[in-house]
Amino acid sequence: MEKEVVIKAENVIKKFGERTILNGISLEVYRGDTFVIMGGSGCGKSTFLRHITGALKPDSGKIYLLGKDLTRVSDDEMDALKKKIGMCFQSAALFDSMTVGENVSLPLREHTKLERGVIDIVVKMKLELVGLRGFEDLMPSQLSGGMRKRVGLARAIAMDPEIVFYDEPTAGLDPIVAGVIDKLILDLSKKLSITSIVVTHDMKSVFSIADRVAMLYEGKVLEVGTSDEIKRSNNPSVQQFISGSPDGPIRFFQQKDDYLEHLIR
Amino acid sequence: MPIRLENKNNLTVCHIDGEIDINSSPGIKKAFDKLIAKKEPKVVVNFSKVSYVDSSGLATLVEVLKNMRTYGGRLRLTNLSPKIKSLFEITKLEKLFDIVAEEEEAISTFM
Ligand SMILES: Nc1ncnc2c1ncn2[C@@H]1O[C@H](COP(=O)(O)OP(=O)(O)OP(=O)(O)O)[C@@H](O)[C@H]1O
Ligand SMILES: [Mg+2]
Repeated sequence: MEKEVVIKAENVIKKFGERTILNGISLEVYRGDTFVIMGGSGCGKSTFLRHITGALKPDSGKIYLLGKDLTRVSDDEMDALKKKIGMCFQSAALFDSMTVGENVSLPLREHTKLERGVIDIVVKMKLELVGLRGFEDLMPSQLSGGMRKRVGLARAIAMDPEIVFYDEPTAGLDPIVAGVIDKLILDLSKKLSITSIVVTHDMKSVFSIADRVAMLYEGKVLEVGTSDEIKRSNNPSVQQFISGSPDGPIRFFQQKDDYLEHLIR
Repeated sequence: MPIRLENKNNLTVCHIDGEIDINSSPGIKKAFDKLIAKKEPKVVVNFSKVSYVDSSGLATLVEVLKNMRTYGGRLRLTNLSPKIKSLFEITKLEKLFDIVAEEEEAISTFM
């Protein structure tokens, strides 16, 4: 059966000032897949995520989200698309002055005509899914980092999105909590048939959750394929990244000019 | 309104047509509110024309059940498609609701 493409990037180029951050990215994400974007710090992962969620526009190239060309959608179409996607930010991005329940219910209160009692039940259902039922009345400051991430996840799925984007969902968490988050991402994808796009450089996460993986390097897709294809890749840069070795073709520092030149300039 | 009410053997059968989602749930809830205001004792909801239920739809049904229970009213769901049935199972709600395969059976055994 032909797989349905829900995200398609075609030769996406983005410059910030003189620096080319995305240098011709093309890839496709299939419905229901967990698609992992990996790559070194600063290679443009978050920037690319912001393009495929419509927050940034490319200088050139095309991005299709659920069949709509993001470089030409109207504001109304963009609003409709936003209701079909959920975002989980690196920092969880909870509102500290709101309770857990209010954080999760925010999208429903803002974007729907559902009555209070119904919204409260949706909140309980979503908190149950992330293992935080009964925490509605706590404030974010009373939660651990891992719990905050889970609240962020409950909020991201409040509107039953078709696609959920995660930026570094396990960064800064201990390996066990990271494993819990990974399992949650997988469970939600399979149970609710959500398409998940996950940016991470946690190699353990990559291979435990990914159906397909894209590795970015210097603004380009170095390799894209299934988890197994990436694991077996002959590309020395991919292997260097997987093994976390400091020596190899990937340069970890990307200065623009010579150090001594810079000092005496 | 994608909801049609029918009186049969001293109970009300609700036929819902289409999707029970974020857009249609508020209207569907209002229709149920009228039955609840009348303290309707027995309500059967026929899902044979329901193609999709989202979380807000499930939450609406839970809220209706909760409201009906305050006066001893009872709610029964019938003719769920396999997909919708499994949704109730995944969300652990199948034990909360009284789910019967066919409408006829739901009515004749609704004591
Ligand atoms: N709004 C902006 N204006 C100028 N430069 C930017 C902007 N956003 C990102 N950049 C630059 O683009 C590059 C890529 O940033 P990005 O945040 O996409 O990296 P990343 O791959 O997500 O890194 P990390 O793994 O550390 O989160 C960085 O060099 C950053 O300085
Ligand atoms: Mg980033």
